[in-house]
Amino acid sequence: MLVLTRKLGESIAIDDNIKIVVVQIKGKQVRLGIKAPKETKIHREEVYQAIQDQNTEAVQADMSDIARLGEELKKK
Amino acid sequence: MVRIPYHFILEEIVKIKTTRFGELEVNPSDIVTFSEGLLGFESLKKYFVVDPGDSTLILWLQSTEDEKVAFPIIEPKIFKPDYIAKLLPADLNGLELESLQAARLYSILTIPATVTEMSANLKAPVVINSTKKVGKQIVLQDSKLSVKHEMYKELKTYIVSFSSDDAKRTTFTSSIALEAGELKTPTTFNSRNLEA
Repeated sequence: MLVLTRKLGESIAIDDNIKIVVVQIKGKQVRLGIKAPKETKIHREEVYQAIQDQNTEAVQADMSDIARLGEELKKK
Repeated sequence: MVRIPYHFILEEIVKIKTTRFGELEVNPSDIVTFSEGLLGFESLKKYFVVDPGDSTLILWLQSTEDEKVAFPIIEPKIFKPDYIAKLLPADLNGLELESLQAARLYSILTIPATVTEMSANLKAPVVINSTKKVGKQIVLQDSKLSVKHEMYKELKTYIVSFSSDDAKRTTFTSSIALEAGELKTPTTFNSRNLEA
């Protein structure tokens, strides 16, 4: 992994069209500004982790639970 | 010489073992390729949709490569009529969509033992191009969408009101929108017959 040191207000360019700026540094938090083309997907890493966890949980669905769900849903 | 009618020389049906549904006969043309896999399941690329025909309206995205892997899925319009998946141009990469008519949109469900706590992942829906048979799990940019949207009550409301209705089919307007937005024609989904 490439590691770069940046000061407040400085930035990093990735390719010709992506720019990441250090907008604010407050204690242990860094605020980053990202300029990128519209089609670039940008997400916090935790989002992917949460989706992975959700997928892993989803495949554990048990047919007996589904049967019970079917019964519950039918109740008025 | 006996001529075999053209429609008989179609692809051979394949048998696929699944832990939940036993051995299923699948037409190879119904197998959908997820070239990137699903998040956390990157090595599994081939799936098909199983409709067990029960009253829950839940379908399954069953892996052909791992019999244990099947995701319960549902059309989000059923429980959330105002749901819109806004796709960015990059999201469409690999989906080969010529029009949104061919796009099918599903939410992956998590169904815990306490079934009333079931939830749908609205943040990362599965989009399938039903014509080209390619699919993708897309992480939407909208930060308000939840990966764990509890929807038992909404589903129940839909099912209860639906079964008291005489109509056997209903149509949904597609819940996919392109951020770029030139394709505005709504797609229609046909829901399955609840009585089946």
